[in-house]
Amino acid sequence: MSSAPGAQDVAATETDRTDDVRQGTSFWRYAGRKAGGALVSLAMVVVLGFFAFRILPGDPVLTLTRGKRVDAEQVAALRREFGLDESLWNQFLIYLRNLSHGDLGDSYTFRRPVADLIYDHLGPTLLLTGVSAVLAIALGLWVGQKAAWRRESFFDRASTGTALVLWSVPTFWLGLLLLLIFGGTLQILPTAGMVTTGLDATGIDYVVDVARHLVLPVITMVAVTYAQYVLVMRASLIEEMTSDYLVTARAKGLREDLVRRRHAIPNALLPTVTLVFMHIGGLISGAVTVETVFSWPGLGYLTFQALTGPDLPLLQGTFVVFSFIVIVMNFIADLLYRVLDPRVRAA
Amino acid sequence: MAFTPPTAGGRLLSRPLALLASLAIAGGICFAPMSPASATPEASDTSKVIKVATNATIDTFNPFISIYATPTGINRMVYENLVQYSAEDSSDTEGLAEKWETSSDGKTWTFHLRPGMKWSDGEPITAKDPKWTYEQMMNNEVMGSANGSLVSNFDTVETPDDTTLVITMKEPQASNPGVEIPVVPEHVWSKLDDPGKHENNKDVVGSGPYTLKSYKPSQSVELTANPNFWRGAPKVDGIQYIYYKNTDAQVQALRAGEVDIVSKLTPAQFKALEGQDGITTNSGKGRRFTGLGLNSGAESKDGKPMGDGHPVLKDVAVRTAIRQAIDTETMMAKVLDGHGTLATSFIPAVFPKWHLDDTSVLKGYDPEAANKMLDEAGYKRGDDGIRLDKQGKPIKLRLLGTSDEPDEQQMADFIGPWLKEVGIDTAVEMTDGDTVSVDSTMGNYDMYFTAWGVGADPDFQLGINTCDSRPDEKGEGATSMDNWCDPEFDKLYNQQHAELDPEKRSQLVKEAQKVHYAATPSIDFWYKDSLEAYRSDRFTNLTKQPIEGGVITEQSGYWSFYGATPVDETKTAADADSGMSVGLWIGVGIAVAAGIVGAVIFARSRKTADERE
Repeated sequence: MSSAPGAQDVAATETDRTDDVRQGTSFWRYAGRKAGGALVSLAMVVVLGFFAFRILPGDPVLTLTRGKRVDAEQVAALRREFGLDESLWNQFLIYLRNLSHGDLGDSYTFRRPVADLIYDHLGPTLLLTGVSAVLAIALGLWVGQKAAWRRESFFDRASTGTALVLWSVPTFWLGLLLLLIFGGTLQILPTAGMVTTGLDATGIDYVVDVARHLVLPVITMVAVTYAQYVLVMRASLIEEMTSDYLVTARAKGLREDLVRRRHAIPNALLPTVTLVFMHIGGLISGAVTVETVFSWPGLGYLTFQALTGPDLPLLQGTFVVFSFIVIVMNFIADLLYRVLDPRVRAA
Repeated sequence: MAFTPPTAGGRLLSRPLALLASLAIAGGICFAPMSPASATPEASDTSKVIKVATNATIDTFNPFISIYATPTGINRMVYENLVQYSAEDSSDTEGLAEKWETSSDGKTWTFHLRPGMKWSDGEPITAKDPKWTYEQMMNNEVMGSANGSLVSNFDTVETPDDTTLVITMKEPQASNPGVEIPVVPEHVWSKLDDPGKHENNKDVVGSGPYTLKSYKPSQSVELTANPNFWRGAPKVDGIQYIYYKNTDAQVQALRAGEVDIVSKLTPAQFKALEGQDGITTNSGKGRRFTGLGLNSGAESKDGKPMGDGHPVLKDVAVRTAIRQAIDTETMMAKVLDGHGTLATSFIPAVFPKWHLDDTSVLKGYDPEAANKMLDEAGYKRGDDGIRLDKQGKPIKLRLLGTSDEPDEQQMADFIGPWLKEVGIDTAVEMTDGDTVSVDSTMGNYDMYFTAWGVGADPDFQLGINTCDSRPDEKGEGATSMDNWCDPEFDKLYNQQHAELDPEKRSQLVKEAQKVHYAATPSIDFWYKDSLEAYRSDRFTNLTKQPIEGGVITEQSGYWSFYGATPVDETKTAADADSGMSVGLWIGVGIAVAAGIVGAVIFARSRKTADERE
């Protein structure tokens, strides 16, 4: 959370703008430092991704063949095919060598390259989480600033209360309830998937079909996530509202609406932006439940499936990719925060 | 007033209005396609396609390496085997081969293929196709990874002419070698650079009633009817397997008519669907047993003790007492809501030829007899009623279960108190399936819940109870059902393995199960029913396997989907229309409401702004 934001007023902004050159060089140093941190995190993820999953209980070959007709030779052949007959150290070296070529290995379960599997499932997840994130952020910030400005009003209590109730509702329950009402009983929206099987639609028909499939999962995701943006936005705006620069703004004769829009909100947005970027990485992996309820063909369920087995290459692959997204998003948040907030530039 | 440029905050404020407006539009678009105009042709197009909800893992459609049940089941539709399992009772019936004979020593099997059969692409099916298929599996490790064990006894495969296939065995074999192996077209597969890596998931050339048209991972699998199928083209145009990740959504989809068949229902879901209009439920007899493994003293293949089983379980009296202390009938009524068949041994009742049905050897629920047996064996009760083992310590047995199997938690809740009544304490440990899998292989258990899906031929299931089938000390090398070994059982197994007379083989199989039953290295509770439901207002003649009381999904064959016949379409279309218009009106209603709310808010904010200017 930002503190003492009163330091920023029109005059301060003016001063900063004159320092463009000095600011430019230090920006690159700052970015370099942050990038270095991100790279260290990535390296740790790569190592952890390999060794952490080796601790998981279970023998991939045993699980894969459990309850099936296999003889000793078949089991041995699978072990050789998966490279599990190599020493742990050799397996690690092979993993590193493959990773350096962008090769995430082959999934034990699906017998396909992990990179292909992730590629197949990434699009749907990005679509679902992207639409949900945009709507949740827009709704959350709007409700949050409204609620803060009219603190203790009916709107504040009702909207914050609603957001908190939805935030506490189990995602699975809400999703199933919506599915039951709109899918099963009213039958106005599809119950599963991203496109209607066998429809073979193109162009606008395809978009419409996907949009219809999107409605329920998006509503579910927005409902259970927007509260966090409401609360952060509300809290930071309330903090700004007591600041001196608002008095200055009012003294200039600005009407309340403009004071809020042009002075209070931009400052209150700062902590929110960081929060938003930090959440984007988490959103992608957090879509597991919604993807499961609505049978969305995304990454969340793929990861869940990888855990049973364990399907080591798939687990490693999804872990590395998820971590990569989170690290990159945090890096972007760091940079953006600096661009948005002049105070960080001085630091 | 334009004295300051708009800031981020200013734009943010107008965003909710744009958002509401776009939501209103989106609402209109999203509900609109349900209008009768666009839906009617679609409804009549797809009414001849059976839509099946599925939630299982699909590894690959390459029949040489696919291990999972669902793709294996789909490949049963795509590739006809040399010999098929019948709908009546899963006995051997004609597939690509119309007849076959075995030499008297059981070493030579000669199959006669039906002349004039064609692949779905019009090429002739000849004996060279099964020869190529089998030889790939025999000679190439990767190609044998799914079904290699089925050809491990093959010595040579010859084709004297286009319709004759001769398989020479290394050892005599009583079970038909032509079953279960999908036969692929040589003219397609021999041209592939690496058939072991072929994904085989698009425009597949097949010989079964349907061929695979397309596959979208985690979304759907589409099959189309094969007009060249030797029994004649199916009466429906195709099958769509649609991915559902939870069964509650499947149930809703069946109600909405989005799918035609759902399976793996819970008893509660099954009850909810019973008696619904246009839906028929089916509690089909399954071929999977559920039971309790007892650690009778796990040893590796070369006789070294494995694991940490409680020594008291080495006593057959204790194991038998545990069997008699459990009221399986009550437990099945509570856990499965009665949807199952009480088990005798490990071959399910759907295979009457192999199923142990000699009631004289069976020992039912009888806690008194169990107590008496334990008293006589010298396990005295301590002060708290718990019996003491030979070292004078109270007997406490661990019970291992899988936490994501609700049935197992329920069973544990019943078994604990029942065992206490005969003086045996239990400690329930619920953990993940992978841990159970490893611990049961390594002998690190006292009791654990076990289950196997059993094939139509008993050889494999018997085979994994032989001494040779036990793993080595590292838990590798082979699979053992109960970590148990008995030379008498092995003798009976070997005899039935080579017994060509079906009657005699049936007797040997039952004798072997009696030996296992008496030794009690595991207790079989029941054969769980498959709970399924389908839209009987759209399809009929879904042949069950077995025909009397059997299953529709997960058959060892293609009978249900091959038999499926569409119901009169006009009625269905009319029903669908009325449902659509309701949906349309509600959609329009929501869109209008959203529009009004948006407009009001917009107007209000403009008004307040003007007032303040």
